[in-house]
Amino acid sequence: MKWKLFKSKNKYQAINRNIQMENINQSGPLKKTLKDNIKQVKEALGESSDIVTREFLIGEDGKIKLGLFYIEGLANTTFIQDIILKTLMIDIRKANLNTTAYSKKKAFEILRDFVLSVGNMKEIADFENLLTSLLSGDAIVLIDGYEQGFAIDSKGWEERGVTEPTSQTVVRGPKDSFSETLRTNISLIRRRIKDPSLWIETKQIGRRTKTDVAIVYIKGVASDKIVKEVRRRLDKIDIDGILESSYIEELIQDETYSFFPTVYNTERPDSVAAGLLEGRVAILVDGTPFVLLVPTLFVQYFQSSEDYYQRSDIGSLLRILRYLSFFIALLTPSLYIAVTTFHQEMLPTPLLISIAAQREGTPFPAFVEALMMEITFEILREAGIRMPRAVGPAISIVGALVLGEAAVKAGIVSPVMVIVVSITAISSFVSPTYNMAIAVRILRFLFMTLAATFGLFGIALGLIAMVLHLCSLRSFGIPYMAPMAPFIWNDQKDVIVRSPIWNMFSRPRLINQKNIIRQQSPSMAKPKPPQKKQ
Amino acid sequence: MKGKVTLLITLTILVISLTGCWNRRELTDLSIATAMGIDKSDDGYLVTAQIINPSEIAAQVPTTRTAVTSYRTTGATVFEALRKLTKESPRKIYMSHMRTIVFGEDLAKEGIAKTLDFISRDHEFRTDFYILVARGVKATEVLNILTPLEKIPANKIYYSLRMSEKAWAATHAVQLDELISKLVSKGDNPVLTGILIKGDPEKGKKLSNVEQVKPSTLLEIDSLAAFKKDKLVGWLDMVESIGFNHITGNVKSTLVAIPCPNGGKLAAELIRTKPNVKGRVEDGKPKINIDHFVEANIAETECAVDLSKTENIYKIEKTLANEIKSKMEKAVKRAQKDFKSDIFGFGEAIHRTDPKAWKELKEDWNKKFENLEVNIKVTVKIRRLGTIFNSLQKEIKE
Repeated sequence: MKWKLFKSKNKYQAINRNIQMENINQSGPLKKTLKDNIKQVKEALGESSDIVTREFLIGEDGKIKLGLFYIEGLANTTFIQDIILKTLMIDIRKANLNTTAYSKKKAFEILRDFVLSVGNMKEIADFENLLTSLLSGDAIVLIDGYEQGFAIDSKGWEERGVTEPTSQTVVRGPKDSFSETLRTNISLIRRRIKDPSLWIETKQIGRRTKTDVAIVYIKGVASDKIVKEVRRRLDKIDIDGILESSYIEELIQDETYSFFPTVYNTERPDSVAAGLLEGRVAILVDGTPFVLLVPTLFVQYFQSSEDYYQRSDIGSLLRILRYLSFFIALLTPSLYIAVTTFHQEMLPTPLLISIAAQREGTPFPAFVEALMMEITFEILREAGIRMPRAVGPAISIVGALVLGEAAVKAGIVSPVMVIVVSITAISSFVSPTYNMAIAVRILRFLFMTLAATFGLFGIALGLIAMVLHLCSLRSFGIPYMAPMAPFIWNDQKDVIVRSPIWNMFSRPRLINQKNIIRQQSPSMAKPKPPQKKQ
Repeated sequence: MKGKVTLLITLTILVISLTGCWNRRELTDLSIATAMGIDKSDDGYLVTAQIINPSEIAAQVPTTRTAVTSYRTTGATVFEALRKLTKESPRKIYMSHMRTIVFGEDLAKEGIAKTLDFISRDHEFRTDFYILVARGVKATEVLNILTPLEKIPANKIYYSLRMSEKAWAATHAVQLDELISKLVSKGDNPVLTGILIKGDPEKGKKLSNVEQVKPSTLLEIDSLAAFKKDKLVGWLDMVESIGFNHITGNVKSTLVAIPCPNGGKLAAELIRTKPNVKGRVEDGKPKINIDHFVEANIAETECAVDLSKTENIYKIEKTLANEIKSKMEKAVKRAQKDFKSDIFGFGEAIHRTDPKAWKELKEDWNKKFENLEVNIKVTVKIRRLGTIFNSLQKEIKE
């Protein structure tokens, strides 16, 4: 134990030293002369070739020297040339910026107050801010002889447009999805909720990537406690880079050692808007279309946004179907193994005879056979996702032939096993979210092992353990299994069935405690009964 | 913390792997027995197990092998004989999917109670199989006959019995729980349906039996065998069997043929029967009143009766009632006179109405049953006449 402590302490020290070393040239206040500033910026960025530096003189007498930096590709060059450079070099050519009459400070103020006709502009006084702004696409303007400058927002890089969602598709409903740009994503939410209480807090996370992360919530609807908790957890993150929202998800989730996801992610703006209206907090990360939504409940993974766009009866039936296919995907192979190796008496006689006839001559025990087929299927599935698009048909032909025809004809697997694997596979695709489907995928193998060793008894044990585990999970302090455990009657309207919209007058209880009313009076429109003629 | 988790995972894996699936049975290791025959033999019992041959049953192309194989062996007890069967069978005999158990007539006459203990005690038996008695032959011979349509003879017996019970009132499908509860009851005795071989038993064993349009040997469900306690005491004939089923409420649907009011024949299909058996004790003498209510449809007329007239319908109802009543009386008479065994459960009826009196009556009940007064009243209501009104005979005459 002792050496372990010692070792971990050493590790920490090494990390701290590292931090100090890398920050040497990248902080501190700006220098007085432009020459020094340019030198330090170039030094800090290692003379990278995509940095553009431009020195020029302004004013009638050309006494004031300015320096402009930007990064090619990140900054919008047209904007810089048309607005900043043109304004500074041509439009104020005639202006009297007499340096003898006014100090350099005055020139700075004039530039700020009268000259630079741009909206989003910051004053910067130190290198840390300068570099951060520069690297996020701003144009930096420095004045020779003054230790402050401007960071002008000129972000403009190549980005992917708003396209149809690829991971959560609907038949009816909005077809836009988030893209990789944070600003676009926020605007997609704003466009849906035009409420001044939709608040957006942005912070940068990642010591090196400086990724913009936005916390979005509706003030007064989202619980302050949860917003505070989200803020606290995000502030605690100390990492060199955030490349996808999954980094944040793993760093802030309540339980890492669980197959079940406790942070919901979606690329659908309408799902996020619905979540915000329910009082959830959204976490948007720059550079990924996947937005996190907390707190997350287990039942959320069975709610597709389409449930709410179809009539409530259709939505309810589809949801029940989803629960059903969850269990089919989870348990079918294990039930098959348990029943055929331990509990043959449970099958109706004609079915048993038919299965027995198919199993006749197959060389492996049912468990091995099932395992083989499931693994083959998982391989095919993974190959289907990773392979280049062009070879897709080849994989599906080989897969169908290998799995279906050849294996059965060769007598290696029984036809009924192929049916079991197929129904399992298809059911696992029903889940509207990918990460719950993965949880089911992993658990399926555990259940198969349990079924092969203990039969139905093992499956029952496994289910009990699973339910206990699910009940022990929390997502930002909210019980994961709510509103089923703890049971909340009022929230049942959106669990197994999706009740009509007019009936969903309140928000989920546990997520939001103070502002639960969505509809003041039931807004169902019923035609008035016909009036009797007098 | 880390150490504890690792330990827990290791222990779980050990627990799962060390049990080693000890009672795992692959389907390919099992011989699924669909029928069992129990006969008397010199040293105890002769047990026959009909084992299915799954690949033959599911075969797409006809083969020259039979769909079932029967193994038989003798043993001091049924269980011993069954275990001995593994010497002949390549796999373990699996009893859960038993459809029928057939007792040989010899054994039934001596008593079947001893064998039932094993069948109801062993956990492998589901209790949804039917129990029959082989009439005139050994049970093992019954299980050797190949049957057309149903590849598995045990299934043929099972479905025949089930269908005939529904559509033809002379049979009664008995399962284990009913048999046992009737055996142990003081005021009731069991009946079992008989099964017999029609044709040459030797020919029935061969595949050629089912290769012809009209098989030379067939299995047929027969009428009921009456038991006194666990011993077979005699066979009811068809009419008595129907009477028995009327009294015990086992008639689901059947037909009754009666003479027409003005000559010729007429058949009625019974659609609903409801016997109300009431026991009564008057001056220490037990009495049984049966109030039988029957609903029927006219199914067939071979006479020129005018069905549009209600008085004719009334007449038919009356004749039907008398016909059914006579069948019931015949059954009661036979049981009282020949079998001296209360197979109708009249004792239980008295037990229900007068438990105090029953305490004394139950001693030697079967003796008292012999002289029991049984009053039968049958009410018939004709509900429908079918899709035509008057019989063709009548139309032709006019």
